[in-house]
Amino acid sequence: MPLLECRGLCRRFGALTAVDTVDLAVEPGEVHALIGPNGAGKSTLFNVITGVLPPTDGQIFFNGERITGLPVHRIIRKGIARTFQLTHLFPALTARENVRIAAQAHRVDRWRPIAGGRVFAATRRIADEALEQMRLSRFAEVKAGMLSHGDQRLLEVAMAIAQEPCLLLLDEPTQGLSVEETDQAIQILRGMLAKGGLTVILVEHDMEVVFGLADKIVVLHRGRVIANGQPAEVKANEEVQRAYLGGME
Amino acid sequence: MNVAGFLVAQSLNALSQAAILFFIACGLTLIFGIMRIINFAHGSLFMLGAYVGYSTVAWTGSFWPSLIIAPLVVGMIGGTFEKLLLARLYARRDSGAYLMVTFGLAIILAETIRLTWGPQPLSIPIPDRLRGIVLISNQPFPIYRLFLIGMGSAAAVLTWQFLERTRAGLLVRAVSQNAEMVHALGTDVNAVRTGVFALGCAMAALGGVLSAPLMTAFLGMGSNVIIDGFVIVIIGGMGSFLGSIIGSVLVGFVQVFGSYYFEDLALAMMYLLMLAILIVRPGGMLGKEE
Amino acid sequence: MHGRIVLAVSAVVMCATAPILPAFTLTLLTEALIFGLFAMSLDLMVGYTRLYSFGHAAAYGLGAYSTALLLIHFGLPLPIGILAGVAVSVVIAVPIAWVCTRSTGVSFAMLTLAFAQLGYAMLYRFKEFTGGSDGIGGIPRPAGPFGLDFFQGKIGYFYVVVFCLTASFFLCTVLITSPFGAVLAGIRENETKMRALGYNTRAYKIAVVVVAYGLGSLAGALYTPFAGFVAPELFFWLVSGRVLIMVVVGGAGTLIGPIIGGVFFVMLEHQLSEVTELWPLVFGAIFIAFVMLAPEGIWGLLTRYVRAMLPAPRGEAGQEASSAAS
Repeated sequence: MPLLECRGLCRRFGALTAVDTVDLAVEPGEVHALIGPNGAGKSTLFNVITGVLPPTDGQIFFNGERITGLPVHRIIRKGIARTFQLTHLFPALTARENVRIAAQAHRVDRWRPIAGGRVFAATRRIADEALEQMRLSRFAEVKAGMLSHGDQRLLEVAMAIAQEPCLLLLDEPTQGLSVEETDQAIQILRGMLAKGGLTVILVEHDMEVVFGLADKIVVLHRGRVIANGQPAEVKANEEVQRAYLGGME
Repeated sequence: MNVAGFLVAQSLNALSQAAILFFIACGLTLIFGIMRIINFAHGSLFMLGAYVGYSTVAWTGSFWPSLIIAPLVVGMIGGTFEKLLLARLYARRDSGAYLMVTFGLAIILAETIRLTWGPQPLSIPIPDRLRGIVLISNQPFPIYRLFLIGMGSAAAVLTWQFLERTRAGLLVRAVSQNAEMVHALGTDVNAVRTGVFALGCAMAALGGVLSAPLMTAFLGMGSNVIIDGFVIVIIGGMGSFLGSIIGSVLVGFVQVFGSYYFEDLALAMMYLLMLAILIVRPGGMLGKEE
Repeated sequence: MHGRIVLAVSAVVMCATAPILPAFTLTLLTEALIFGLFAMSLDLMVGYTRLYSFGHAAAYGLGAYSTALLLIHFGLPLPIGILAGVAVSVVIAVPIAWVCTRSTGVSFAMLTLAFAQLGYAMLYRFKEFTGGSDGIGGIPRPAGPFGLDFFQGKIGYFYVVVFCLTASFFLCTVLITSPFGAVLAGIRENETKMRALGYNTRAYKIAVVVVAYGLGSLAGALYTPFAGFVAPELFFWLVSGRVLIMVVVGGAGTLIGPIIGGVFFVMLEHQLSEVTELWPLVFGAIFIAFVMLAPEGIWGLLTRYVRAMLPAPRGEAGQEASSAAS
């Protein structure tokens, strides 16, 4: 059974159709890359899947359960974590505090108003592990607002993995990163995937990242899926090449 | 009493109410359009207008000069406040600071008024020429209220003409759309902001003067009226001039007919209306401001 | 950390010197501490969660009137009367919190104001119960259960207030340094992200508003037997304004700052009002000055100053969410 399934998903804004009858099936453990020219509707699709925007049409299923129309926090708590195109952090809090809040989000005792010692111990451990995985441990005590753009994006990914999700939605994680930083990010993601238990949908413009990580590629153009399959076939697809006006980067 | 006559009279009542509300809502809307903030001091400025009007009447013995002096004085105060304080907050993208500072101004104005004029309500007599009643559909109707409707309509038309037909008005509209671009084209956007803020304050003050003969000048005018203004701005759509007209009329009707049919709730009417609106549309119209 | 020390030391000093202070000073201090509690309750909303309220007078008024009515009509012993007054206020605060948290920013502030204004209007509407503009007078300070009556006197009542303030401060500190408090910090810093992480931020906001109203109503409930009467002015928006000023000037997000702000203002008010009638203006001006120039408030300034002077490294042990004063 697919972990995430979208059937006929549509999202319209008045006359503009941002997501047009999208069908998507992501099996557990797979890495899907979502690519397409700017304005193709990729971030909107993420917003619809996570409940930030309600779909105008269609259904979404997570683990066989219908999640269409649920509020954001209920959907997320089923085991989905996402990052944003524009970095969304808590700039006045330290990197560790940032990740700890993320780690706390999925604990049953996250609300404990008194004697949270055990909660804090657990979240600190998870946070430190996540920071370690993203190679950000040295910034644990630094305020997130002070980090470089690249490190902030990695921090956001750290926050996502601290939620211990089944499904990870990454929205242009390497955007704004230098070549070295991008390579590092690919390595880290590969390491995480190798450990298993994680399913990823990745919005990306950087084709190296895409071909380096993806099991399947989904191409969006003007809200519609124009290709969906193994990297090799998608690369050869003429319609895709046309959409990108002159081939892949 | 026949129904038609009653409806006509109450509708005119509602329109006169709407006129006063318009003076507040228009300024609030213009200011929001330009600065993306709700000027919380607007209610106190309205109140200040009423009190300055009282003093002008006391000083000159005539009502008419106050229609010019009150808006002028309050407009200047508003403009100065904007220039000295609000302008400095633009760099700080902190909506909390605006709330606080305009709130602080509201407090200072309210306390100043209490100190200067005392805690008792002050009445301004209706000018002789506007006293008395006319018969409309066989119902007696105060001339002064017709005067209010006239003033409100005139203000609406003038403001509309200003925004649509004059260069200054065009500037105002441009700045509310895209301040940076206008700035890049060489206009002093800060001056536009100060001007609009002053204009908004002046309009509120004029509303205050006009309302004083009917409701007296009293402490507490401000806090009621700011909620009214806020409700209108939400109904009409933040920053929409036409919306402020429609909203004022709507709220005017709700207030007048509402307090007639639900006399008990008269005092609470506006608060309940606002609660109702914000319950139905809690973020919708105000999403932009965050 | 320092806040707790300051409070603890001050509490001990005040309790120790209470018997020898002149009656007038004691009365003033009692009133000041009540206001300090009132201000601290608002800090939970404003300083820790960035929920600006223009209507916190409602909490105060609710507590004051509830306690007044309970003491007069049911002859409850004083401590029970106060607790019952708070309980009633908390129950009323829940729907208020529910409605207000539907919105954010200015709308939230306006809604809180609307409820306070509504309360004010209701007091006039239901004159038979509430005494209308005359308020309710002659409120007793009945003895407690088991014949406890030390708080019927000035010194005794002062101890009660100090106790309530310290206990509330302790409660707030525990809340703030708990996982719940960490969530509040997140909401303050980036609510959208918190929702994206899966937090039901609305529920947390309702909770913090109810707690804030609860503690605010405790201040009101303490005020009633202290003053002996209650009047509608307690709900007036200028009261909400004053407590907001105390929070901002004292130092939002520090708990101790607003307490100091509250105490400072009541003292200053009594001093200034003898010299000049202009003191409310002075307060308004001070408020604006702090918002513009020193948003971290008095406590923030003090902390900064002290840190600059001390060479020792700061190592704040524990899991306190970062100070909101930044």
